Amino acid sequence: MSAPAGLYIHIPFCSAVCPYCDFAVRVAAVPVRARFVKALVREIELWRNHWHFPIDTVYFGGGTPSLLSGGELSDILGAAMECLPVRAAPTIFFEANPEDVDETSLALWQRLAVSYLSLGVQSLVDAELRFLGRRHCAHEAVDALVSSMEAGFTTVSADIIFGLPGQTGATLAASLDRLMKIGPPHVSCYQLTLHEGTTFGRWHAHGKLTELPETVQARYFELVQERLAQAGYDAYEVSNFASAPGHRSAHNMKYWSHAPYLGLGPSSHSFDGRSRWWNESRLSAYEQALANGRPIAAAERLTDEQLALEALMLKLRTAEGIEFAEFYRRYGVDLAGINGALCALLAQEGLALIECGRMQLTRQGLAVADGIAARFALE
Amino acid sequence: MKNIRNFCIIAHIDHGKSTLADRLIQACDAVGARDFRDQVLDDMDIERERGITIKSNSITLDYQAKDGERYQLNLIDTPGHVDFSHEVRRSLMACDGAIIIVDATQGVEAQTVANLYLAMEHELELLPIINKIDLPAADVERVREEIDADLGLDPFAAIAISAKNGVGVEEVLEGIVRQLPPPSGESKAPVKALVFDAQYDAYRGVVLSCRIRQGELRTAAKVRFMHTGREYEVHELGYNRLTRCKTDVLPCGAVGYIITGIKTIRDVSIGDTLTVVENPAKAPLPGYQPAKPVVFSSIYPMSTDEYPELTAALEKLALNDAALDYQKDSSAALGFGFRCGFLGLLHLDVVQERLKREFELSLVLSAPSVLYRVTLKNGTLVEIDNPANWPEPGDIDSVEEPYIKASILVPESHMGAAITLCRNHRAATIETNFLSKGRIDLVAEMPLAEVLFEFYDRLKSATRGYGSFDYEELDYRPGAIVKVDILVHHERVDALAFLAHADKARGRALHYSEQLAKNIPRHQFKIPVQGAIGGNIIARSTISAFRKDVTAKCYGGDVSRKRKLLEKQKKGKARMKLVGSVEIPQEAFVSVLRTDQQ
Repeated sequence: MSAPAGLYIHIPFCSAVCPYCDFAVRVAAVPVRARFVKALVREIELWRNHWHFPIDTVYFGGGTPSLLSGGELSDILGAAMECLPVRAAPTIFFEANPEDVDETSLALWQRLAVSYLSLGVQSLVDAELRFLGRRHCAHEAVDALVSSMEAGFTTVSADIIFGLPGQTGATLAASLDRLMKIGPPHVSCYQLTLHEGTTFGRWHAHGKLTELPETVQARYFELVQERLAQAGYDAYEVSNFASAPGHRSAHNMKYWSHAPYLGLGPSSHSFDGRSRWWNESRLSAYEQALANGRPIAAAERLTDEQLALEALMLKLRTAEGIEFAEFYRRYGVDLAGINGALCALLAQEGLALIECGRMQLTRQGLAVADGIAARFALE
Repeated sequence: MKNIRNFCIIAHIDHGKSTLADRLIQACDAVGARDFRDQVLDDMDIERERGITIKSNSITLDYQAKDGERYQLNLIDTPGHVDFSHEVRRSLMACDGAIIIVDATQGVEAQTVANLYLAMEHELELLPIINKIDLPAADVERVREEIDADLGLDPFAAIAISAKNGVGVEEVLEGIVRQLPPPSGESKAPVKALVFDAQYDAYRGVVLSCRIRQGELRTAAKVRFMHTGREYEVHELGYNRLTRCKTDVLPCGAVGYIITGIKTIRDVSIGDTLTVVENPAKAPLPGYQPAKPVVFSSIYPMSTDEYPELTAALEKLALNDAALDYQKDSSAALGFGFRCGFLGLLHLDVVQERLKREFELSLVLSAPSVLYRVTLKNGTLVEIDNPANWPEPGDIDSVEEPYIKASILVPESHMGAAITLCRNHRAATIETNFLSKGRIDLVAEMPLAEVLFEFYDRLKSATRGYGSFDYEELDYRPGAIVKVDILVHHERVDALAFLAHADKARGRALHYSEQLAKNIPRHQFKIPVQGAIGGNIIARSTISAFRKDVTAKCYGGDVSRKRKLLEKQKKGKARMKLVGSVEIPQEAFVSVLRTDQQ
């Protein structure tokens, strides 16, 4: 595997837990955070000499990495640089909440050499932000975006959540229009999913919250794609848009291309090209496990067919699509040969473009990419 | 011979035939209480469960009558359903008399009348019995009137009993002895034995049930089937009591079993006459009619890898069911299966149930069809039951379809509904005969194809359960029959094609397309479901496209989770049938065919 690897570091703390969030996060006091940082550093040290893929991206995700102090962050980064084969001057990705953005924090992240700052904007409509349980309002988000962009990061990205119950096309368009005016170099737009085990999930189960009808979801998906395309963004993945190729998330693209990645911290997943393993997701279990070695909860070794299936579903989500010859070289599956009739049908139905040995889903096809992936035979 | 009585019991379903048989057997002590299972004559589980008798069987009882004599009573069981009328005929041919049961609460029903006519055709003496007099709703006097008016029998000869409680059983036995005649026939004449049933025994091969019409049959005799010409040696013969009781000779008039070493039931033609090769009879007994299937359907296993199991199961069923006709068949949509011929809808139902229950197979059946006679423009006549073999419309000169004479007994108050129903089912003629108080016998000549789909259920609901129905095959008559293709996303689904009368084609095609549209999950593209005659679309439904399913995020941990979901989805798809690019779940086939209506 020649592609460089990514390092993901999960910071499992938030100032409050959003009602839709199903990540491994919790609210914790300062001493708990300090203890966690120690544990995390220990986990990094356990990988010394055991992870051999050179790393060129480091991603601080969560949770809210912006809750950690400058000292804590540099301890973590320092340990990583020391113990792991991290290349000189890696691209550092950092997630932050708009309310944590101010001159001081921006200066701190600059000092840490963060080049890609991702802000959890979610919406630019106050009522929607309140519904989502966010601690910022629309104008705070706008200010945070603007000041971040002025601070000189290579890329500033805004996360948007759409498809909220009760959201109208007009409020969604309003958020997007306002965002487009500010023009962050990168935007991620996620459709709200009501996960089991979250507050929204429970409301959903009790009938207090209903998902938008599929046709409305489809319309909003279309709306998002259209607005961002009009504003000159390139939809390089189902939910990810970049104003120029250089602003794509190099780290996230590793997940979609089967590049190796090492995930540290609770619930983080790692992949070495063949096997995937993941850490204990509860903080206490993670810390306890670390007392006896690596905090790995489980692992799986993928069969050739599983690898091919993953590649299929991941590639179909990208603008690049699938190049049949390359797919065959890497996964040993003649996708076009086995699925000739299906390919023809997808093209005929306007769900895919198939040209020069490459298949790319159209916008309409992207909206149903999961179903399309399930239709392909792999043998 | 004067102390032998060969008789059967004929009755409408549920009027208590099996219960009475049990009581007679108990009263004659043929079965010890320990061995006694209710309804001894019904061997098969399904018969037991549905309370109907499918295979004929016989049992020999010894009865000490009040006149001081010992009698040998041979009770020959008859199937209780219209589909098996040829089996009923065969059983009746083995009898000299018949008990005819009428339910004291239900009165005379269509089948009672149909069976009565059958019995009269065979010149049997009849002993009417009114059963279930223990029930609060019993109306013995009304039923006596019906016996007089509807059946034309002596109402005062009818014995009122409760088979369930054993009331009147003694009188029935005495009635059998006194009112039913002994067999006749010449002991010294060449042997003529009527084969009225055959069963397969895993250890002994085929066991024949026979009635000796003339002569005497001995062990080791060389015998010949007079219609087929096949010859065998009698290995063993005897009487059917609770178990087989071996003897050396079956005398004239006797009813018993014969084992000749025949390996499969296909080699036996029921209704044939056995004679002895040494001194053969000149002519067989009259009335032989081979069983002929009239209803056809293709059977496919739900999952194609169950085809070997289906093959084995049909082979096994056929060991004991000579009327079951099956040939290899294949469908582009459903894979390998069998084209099967049945004696009627109940027969189809029973076979399907047995395949499911005894062999645990999940099946898909194509729409039942009748046998059409098609005259081509070049003058040749072809018989076609399978839509797959239907000629191009341009090659067809004319088509004939089988008609039946349906007899429907209804209370007068529901006559209108029953007539409307018959009209809707293309009845050519409807005659009404007024029977006893407020009861009508509707005799309708109608296409057999019209009663294949839910006719009986509709009759029941149109008459609030009071209507009863029976039919006999009549003749072939011209009919405007067309083949309807079902197209899913512009691809023909061969297993769903059907033959129908032109007037009914559109309605049924619409039903098909609607059902499929309901049962085929949405795809990523719009799927038209159409019914077509040739290139002409006559019905259409549309399955709208799935428009949004893609999940938003797909990072590290999401990849495994999402892949697992996909794997599950793909596993589900493996159980579907791919027609063109559309995955059709087997349930969709089943739902269409099961709820088929016109």
